[in-house]
Amino acid sequence: MRLTRRDRLLLFAPLAILLGGWLVGPALVGLGATLTTYSPLTTAVAFAGWQNYTDVLHDPQFGEAARNVAIFTLVAVPLELGLGFGVAYLLRRPFRGRSWWRGLLLLPWLVSPIATGVMWHYLFGGATGILNFVLGWLGQPEVASPIGDVRLALAATIAIEVWRMAPFVTFLLLPGLVAIPEERWEQATLVGASWFRRIVNVALPEVAPLMLTVGMLLTGLSLGAFDTILILTGGGPGTATLTPALYSYDRAFVTNDWPSGAASAWLIAGCVAVVGTVYIRVSARWSR
Amino acid sequence: MVALRPARIIAIAAVTGAFLLPLAWTGLAAVGVLPDDSTRPPSWTGPPTLDHIAEIGVAEPTFWQELATSTLAAILAACLTVAVAFPAAFALARSRFRGGRTATQVFLVLASLPVMAYVIPLADLSSRVHLIDTFAGITLAEAAVTAPLAVFVLHGAVAQLPPEWEEAAVIDGAGLVRILGGVVLPLIAPSVAATLVVMFVLDWNMLLVPLVLTSGAVKTVPVALSDFFTFERELDWPTAAAALMVSLAPLAVLVGVFHRVLESFALQAPGGRDIG
Repeated sequence: MRLTRRDRLLLFAPLAILLGGWLVGPALVGLGATLTTYSPLTTAVAFAGWQNYTDVLHDPQFGEAARNVAIFTLVAVPLELGLGFGVAYLLRRPFRGRSWWRGLLLLPWLVSPIATGVMWHYLFGGATGILNFVLGWLGQPEVASPIGDVRLALAATIAIEVWRMAPFVTFLLLPGLVAIPEERWEQATLVGASWFRRIVNVALPEVAPLMLTVGMLLTGLSLGAFDTILILTGGGPGTATLTPALYSYDRAFVTNDWPSGAASAWLIAGCVAVVGTVYIRVSARWSR
Repeated sequence: MVALRPARIIAIAAVTGAFLLPLAWTGLAAVGVLPDDSTRPPSWTGPPTLDHIAEIGVAEPTFWQELATSTLAAILAACLTVAVAFPAAFALARSRFRGGRTATQVFLVLASLPVMAYVIPLADLSSRVHLIDTFAGITLAEAAVTAPLAVFVLHGAVAQLPPEWEEAAVIDGAGLVRILGGVVLPLIAPSVAATLVVMFVLDWNMLLVPLVLTSGAVKTVPVALSDFFTFERELDWPTAAAALMVSLAPLAVLVGVFHRVLESFALQAPGGRDIG
């Protein structure tokens, strides 16, 4: 149907109010405030230019956080996409109870990030955890929890994130794989394609746009990694698992350095905006 | 339906087992069945008991109230999200303007934007308009966080719908509201229901937004869990496991009931091939 200008305005208005008031609006107000010395606790406000941003960028702690989140994102996102795709590939052909099974596989994602942190705190350590149980069966000595080890803490948080998010990726990719017509698979079988060829030549080209979309979501969420790490390590030991989001939270709500907190949060938003632009560009090229 | 080869059945079972093992471990601990890793080989202790579920209320006296707050806030926020996202998604799918494709993708980028990026000024603004520590403040903020994803998903659902249905209704003299509520909504009802379920899960599990928008008067379960563990109070593992299982149960039941409907939750790449 043809929508008039008035129709469109009416249809968009509720969303515009909600996003304007609670998402885009605060984000922009925050951007403005970070260019000043504004803080909810002070009354004198002066223009500061990029000072807050240069302060954060020169803070070695923020540097550590940026390094950690870069590793976190570069390792976790491909693992989540790969593992999620693999499981979806196994489930691509209909069988009795598949949709039920699909729901069952979604369970790890249903555990809230915060509960995930609490859960793995106990599973990794102590006398009742999984890790020492398995090691005990293998006749190995008990080990300390990897989340308390400077060298292993980041890897442990990545493993936990992959455990929670890969099932969600499967959930998102499966509709794309199911939609591939049966003939495509049959053709591939007729020419004697190996399972590897079938994935590369049949499955991947069809789900590539969808994987790009899911990859965008995962990258943005990884860049803001917060909940699970807050409860699991609080950024430690030392700064081994500190992320920019934890840094922002700490500055804004714990040490009451509001300008640094808001400015570093905007640096995360800037990164997501850059990734988002790349996503829009690549996706436009693919659909041409 | 095709018969699956045994190799695939084994692979599916193994993957499911690996992903669910940590949850099974937690579930066993919640009913008091604990491993003892200090014996060789490790052994299991304790007869099954439901005592630990009762202990949650002792460790955190307001837990059941927090469960109710979480449920109500998530239901209202999910409904509000879909209510504002659906008309916008429809307008987006049915208007042809330059950059319409990009506009849809901007919603996905907004959905990927970490809450941390805007929650600091949001907390400040909320306290200035006295929405801190109110149920409405939390619900509205949760709804806003998930709205961009809902717009993206519902846009895909409307875009796949042939416009003939609406055109027939226009000829019959139906107005905008009747077309949206009486024609389009029933046709994409499975997608809308699936979106509601996913939004409920996201709202239920949200931490940062309710955490900074309350100083304790209105608490959701994730905030309560975070408070409990940040203030260095050590909780017995079986009690913690029971609390985790109780807060997971509503979501598991929801997904179990709606498992068929959830097949309609699809992130369609705009302009890309149909992935329905």
